[in-house]
Amino acid sequence: MKRNVAIIGGGQTHHAARRHDVSQPEMVHEAVLAALEDAGMTIDEIDAVILGNMEFFEGQHMTDCWLADSIGAYGRSGVKITTGGTVGATIIHAGAHHVASGLFDKVLCIGFEKQEEGDTNAILSAVAHPLFGRSMAGAAVGFFAMLASSYMANYGATEKHSAMIRVKAAENACKNEYAHLKLTITVEDVLNSRMLAYPIRLLEMCPASNGACAIILADEKTAKDRCKKPVWIRAMDTAHNEQFVLEWRDTKSTSPRFSEVSASRIYKKLGVKDPKSYYDVIEVYEPATWAEIMWYEDLHLCERGEGFRLIEEGETNIDGEIPVNPSGGVLSTNAIGATAMLRIWEAALQIRGDAGGHQVPKEVRRALATAYGGTCWTALTSLSNSTDD
Amino acid sequence: MTQEMYDQELINIPILVDVPYRFAAGRYMARFLRELRDNGKFYGVRCPSCKRVMIPPRIVCARCHVKSDDWVELGNEGTLEAFTIMFFPMTDPTSGKPHNPPFAYGSVKLDRCDAPVDHFLNIEPDMEKIKVGMRFRAVLKPREERIGDLSDILYFEPVKGK
Repeated sequence: MKRNVAIIGGGQTHHAARRHDVSQPEMVHEAVLAALEDAGMTIDEIDAVILGNMEFFEGQHMTDCWLADSIGAYGRSGVKITTGGTVGATIIHAGAHHVASGLFDKVLCIGFEKQEEGDTNAILSAVAHPLFGRSMAGAAVGFFAMLASSYMANYGATEKHSAMIRVKAAENACKNEYAHLKLTITVEDVLNSRMLAYPIRLLEMCPASNGACAIILADEKTAKDRCKKPVWIRAMDTAHNEQFVLEWRDTKSTSPRFSEVSASRIYKKLGVKDPKSYYDVIEVYEPATWAEIMWYEDLHLCERGEGFRLIEEGETNIDGEIPVNPSGGVLSTNAIGATAMLRIWEAALQIRGDAGGHQVPKEVRRALATAYGGTCWTALTSLSNSTDD
Repeated sequence: MTQEMYDQELINIPILVDVPYRFAAGRYMARFLRELRDNGKFYGVRCPSCKRVMIPPRIVCARCHVKSDDWVELGNEGTLEAFTIMFFPMTDPTSGKPHNPPFAYGSVKLDRCDAPVDHFLNIEPDMEKIKVGMRFRAVLKPREERIGDLSDILYFEPVKGK
């Protein structure tokens, strides 16, 4: 990058299924205030505002205009970004480009979703090709159910492994004051929950949350002057699959997988040989339990087809060798437009040592955050407490 | 109602957004749909560079970024790559109405093709009876009912003995 870029502050709302007490702009404003307070800044110091959410989830076009007042965009530079589920990460990447290029010094990045106000599944199904299978589209749950049935058939993972992922998420979420679902559940509870789309049950799928996240990015000089614990963005990468080619449903396919392609590029850029030892914590985007297992493999934490062994051996627990989603992850909180940004924000909190109850019990120097968009592209972000990495 | 209750009342307003769309299939997809409608056949296109056969057929191969114009007739049978049994009354975004759960649907890779098509599986929605790797055959609507749309496929049914 031309100039180093740091996260100098951030914040999030308390996430919930019902927020009738606030309109969309009012809810988003809560995260903006939290981020400004965390950074010790006023809105007047912000040079540009970047906002994003899922297109039309709340039935509202041009959210950047409707929200101009509450996000502090009035009279300011800025842009709206919508890249599906990756949007929270793409906003950060765009903000980082704005700062790295020298165009701006302080950029406020915001992702939000008020999912209760629209029909998430109907709109997600409209991501499918309009003339080739949209009628059959099963939104996110159908997608991950197909992937899971293929994965189980090919590699011998069982529904119990999926349930173990869910229990880990629940245990971690109970330590996270901002998480939406804080459940006390066992593997049996997960396996006894209502089937949505075989093999995915209610508890194996993320909730529909209302919430927002905001992060303030700054150049190196501002960060060093203004922030005690800047978290540096050391690498970013986006990779796309072919959206309407369904061959990735075959988990044995040898075709390049977008998420693996992206991770490989990040590792090459940073000289990462063994991601499990390079990173101290990872926040993955797992709308369903099975997605977390896919990420283990795509991020090269293990060999292809071995992902379910990691959860079996507890390696990704909060006190494991490589903690994954100490926040409770997407399975516990999913305000989609905020979700990918929350992965980055939670990773930054871990590096700062400010994660509170869900801080991993070791020194955290580097963290990786992932995202899914339309399940066919990803945006990865690698963070560090040092510009030396 | 006390004044305090009145002051705390929150209001939600329902709005229905009903927006019609009309999509142009383009020359390639139109040929695929014409063959399906008029001859009951599936066609894909082969990339001249990487040689994979693609559906939905499209002008450019994403990997090689070269024009594909070698049309290949595919089999009406194929192999199940992935499936699910939907228990949730998911809205069909083409109609606004839910399909009737539970029902099975899956990704079937037609013979001579490198990408699958998703459709209903005409099989008892029982996870013990559906296996990845099973053979399925496309069953189409009668010719006079076909309109040139993927819904011209009624469903895929298991091929007996395979």
